[in-house]
Amino acid sequence: MAKIITPGPSGYVPTPAVFEGVQITPPGKALLYGEWVDEETAMREAALAMLTRKNPTIFPGPLVLWGYNASAIEKAQAVLELAKEIPNCRIIPMPDYRPKYPKINPEAEINPNHPNLTILHNRIEACIFVGVHCHYANLSLRMIRAGTNCFTIALCAEMGHEDAMVSIRDVHAEKILELRDMVIKVREELGIKWEPKLPPENPSLPKEHFETLNIADYGDYAYLLHPRKGETVEETE
Amino acid sequence: MPEQKVVETDYLLLEAPRERKFITGSQAMAEAVKRANVDIAIAYPITPQSETMHLVGDLWAQGYLKDYYRAEEEYGAMSAIAGAVRGGARAFTATSGPGLLRGLEAIASWPGHRIPAVLGVLTRVVNAPLSIQPDNVEISYLMNCGMVVLHAENQQDVFDFTLASFAISEMVDVYLPIAVCTEGFFVTHAKGYVNMTPEDMKLPPRDPYKAPVPPTDCEIPPARIQRDAPVQKSNFMSYLIHQVWQQEVWSSNMRAMKYIYKYLNGPIEVINPDAEVFVAASGCAAAQAREAVRYAQMEGLNVGLLKIKSIVPFPSKEVRETLKNAKAIIVPEHNIVGWLAKEIKANIPNSDNVIGRPRVYGGMTLPVELIMDEIYAALGIKKDKTVLV
Amino acid sequence: MGLEYVKISPGFEKYMPKDYVDLVKYGQFGKQIDVQQIDQIKELVEEHPMCAGCYMAYFVRIFYASLPKPEDTIVLGTAGCARLALSQAAVPFIYGNYGDTNAVASGLKRALSIRFPDKIKDVVVVAGDGGLMDIGFGMTMHSWFRREKFTTIMVDNEVYGNTGGQESGMSPKGVQLKMAPKGKKFDKINAVELAKTAGCVYVAKLAPTNPKRIAKTIKRAILAARELGPTFIHVYTSCNIEYSIPTERVLADAKEREKNDFGFYEWMTDEAKEYLEEQEKKMAEAKT
Repeated sequence: MAKIITPGPSGYVPTPAVFEGVQITPPGKALLYGEWVDEETAMREAALAMLTRKNPTIFPGPLVLWGYNASAIEKAQAVLELAKEIPNCRIIPMPDYRPKYPKINPEAEINPNHPNLTILHNRIEACIFVGVHCHYANLSLRMIRAGTNCFTIALCAEMGHEDAMVSIRDVHAEKILELRDMVIKVREELGIKWEPKLPPENPSLPKEHFETLNIADYGDYAYLLHPRKGETVEETE
Repeated sequence: MPEQKVVETDYLLLEAPRERKFITGSQAMAEAVKRANVDIAIAYPITPQSETMHLVGDLWAQGYLKDYYRAEEEYGAMSAIAGAVRGGARAFTATSGPGLLRGLEAIASWPGHRIPAVLGVLTRVVNAPLSIQPDNVEISYLMNCGMVVLHAENQQDVFDFTLASFAISEMVDVYLPIAVCTEGFFVTHAKGYVNMTPEDMKLPPRDPYKAPVPPTDCEIPPARIQRDAPVQKSNFMSYLIHQVWQQEVWSSNMRAMKYIYKYLNGPIEVINPDAEVFVAASGCAAAQAREAVRYAQMEGLNVGLLKIKSIVPFPSKEVRETLKNAKAIIVPEHNIVGWLAKEIKANIPNSDNVIGRPRVYGGMTLPVELIMDEIYAALGIKKDKTVLV
Repeated sequence: MGLEYVKISPGFEKYMPKDYVDLVKYGQFGKQIDVQQIDQIKELVEEHPMCAGCYMAYFVRIFYASLPKPEDTIVLGTAGCARLALSQAAVPFIYGNYGDTNAVASGLKRALSIRFPDKIKDVVVVAGDGGLMDIGFGMTMHSWFRREKFTTIMVDNEVYGNTGGQESGMSPKGVQLKMAPKGKKFDKINAVELAKTAGCVYVAKLAPTNPKRIAKTIKRAILAARELGPTFIHVYTSCNIEYSIPTERVLADAKEREKNDFGFYEWMTDEAKEYLEEQEKKMAEAKT
């Protein structure tokens, strides 16, 4: 099989897969290296990548991280089930899509405006995107292929992603669990011993103590929060 | 108004019964809007577009649309369309020539903002000097902004392209604005036969959550959303994001092609595929080209028609394939710059065979005889010059 | 939709970055906070890249703390300084094109009214003097003429700060700025009177010296816009860079301007007055 879309780095200006003639699959089919295959073949290759490449990581997007409806919550549970079965897997979230000032902590999150930073910092060589809106997933997948050697897997609730090495479409909780089963199967075939276990917690930013934050912490600007004694303020409650 | 029932997109566009009516291009566009389950239309007057938006206003008055207003000017209209579409509504507007250019900053930003709206472009002269007459030079300004650009030959095309555009623009893998262009007056103010779907059927409503970007409606995560973040280089950003963003717009544009096949019977139409000489044209010029091909065939000449419906995405492969054995390719156009001839030249190996004539502009009509003259010349047939004016 | 979309999926609390967990836990979503509680809550905007001592940055912070319903608020901005901070907040923000805010907000608000006729969806424009009174003037005025139901807040720094300090229509007469090398030749535009004439139902002008009063003004403007029509607040937010105001003098400058040409001013229609009194009574009752 001709592999059109393979792990990068593909260069300074990545050519989008669509420009190379890769097309989104019809329902029931999946994309593997830019070619149409059946879902099982694609899932097997995805499982193999997550089991054999370094620092496998799941990047859940807003549609999984935020429990805005029953299906999102169910999907989130399935993602955790999948994560448990991948040895030494990590979960690094993409909570939103906006550039963030001053910068993200690449160990704590991934941002679609510079996903390569998280991949390179953590030396991630296989990853799964799930619950990310297609536009932002495509931006990320292309940037990752441009500058890293990461094997990308897209679990898409819609039509799929040409720029991922593996793209499976119409993915909801059920299909994520199918992938989990495939991971277990391939893992056993490879003879990898692993007890299901949740990935480590987010090694996040230092804790900010809002409970104990004091008015004095605002320095000169404290005045703006509390008017000086004796100062009369008209027209307020 | 009749009670309208929602039917499946594929049924309405491909299978629904059709009734033949004799109507103008403006009416054809409004009739399509009537069946498209449009939420809001925003209008600003300019000749020759105005009539279309009058009719759409009437549709609102009758209850087909939920909102409609006359904007302050085109930049405001196009910006408001972007706001309405971000808010999850299905939106429509139309403009012409100078109006298109006035709104172009906003329009050119729609694709990057992922705004699936439908824009009627009813072409006219771009000033100066002022004229309201047909000339489609404005389409050349639209070709590089990332939106899908369709060019309708006649009233039937206007109806079909407009109705299908609402469906295509909202496909998750496309999600781009679509311009449905046609020549002002020649098509908008002239009547033709149009086979139309029943008045009491309409497209399903827009589902703003079936989308590659979240709508800005505070109903879906992420809360901290900004679809169109300024992404300039700083200590937390790199230029790569803008590069891949632009690539995404143009990838999405290319993805529209499969829906153009599905709903519009492909991006091109060919008559006499084995022809020695082709007349390649779009829009109103294609109607004249069609006539010229008919004349030529009556005279026993081996001439074919290549009508191009989709200007962006440009059907490179199809055009290349159709024209691969053509000895001469005549490209009649309604503008001075010859944007279609240039596009064809850029997409075929034998570009020397492209004859970028006849071109008329500034409101001049395109007599079939002008195209015939080029056909005779290409085939080495000597004829006396006809004086037309 | 309520607060579901700002709740973390069960099981994912420990995978979220800390700042999001804190925002959900200590943030102002779903709460009515007093602006003086700003030291006790997790604010909608935390860090931003605006200049040290920028008074606009302070105002933007107070603005976000004053939103009556942040979980159903959409903020629009345009080119300029304010968007640098506006775009770092935890509510949706739209950055359109140059000066298009009030046209985009018109379309957006109408779409939301069509889709959610029974829900509150607050739309607020926060744009600069250049965006609203120069390049976007026509769209600003016409959104008012059309009586579009959203709030416009002009953060007036009297200069094009983000592009390097050019004269704007709101710069005071005589001031020497870039593109006005001989000093500005005409007066500051009277935006407040324009707003009144154009049909705003609530108009206010202030220098941000009193956070409680700012909060009250913003709340009033947003509440009135929900039901009655366009509302406008003109705020003095000095540019300490282009006007060379030493950081420690920024507050004093605002107080000085308040004494001169930026005294607190509030005007509303009788209808708005009645409506706001009713709303504020209800809110006071709800508190007690």
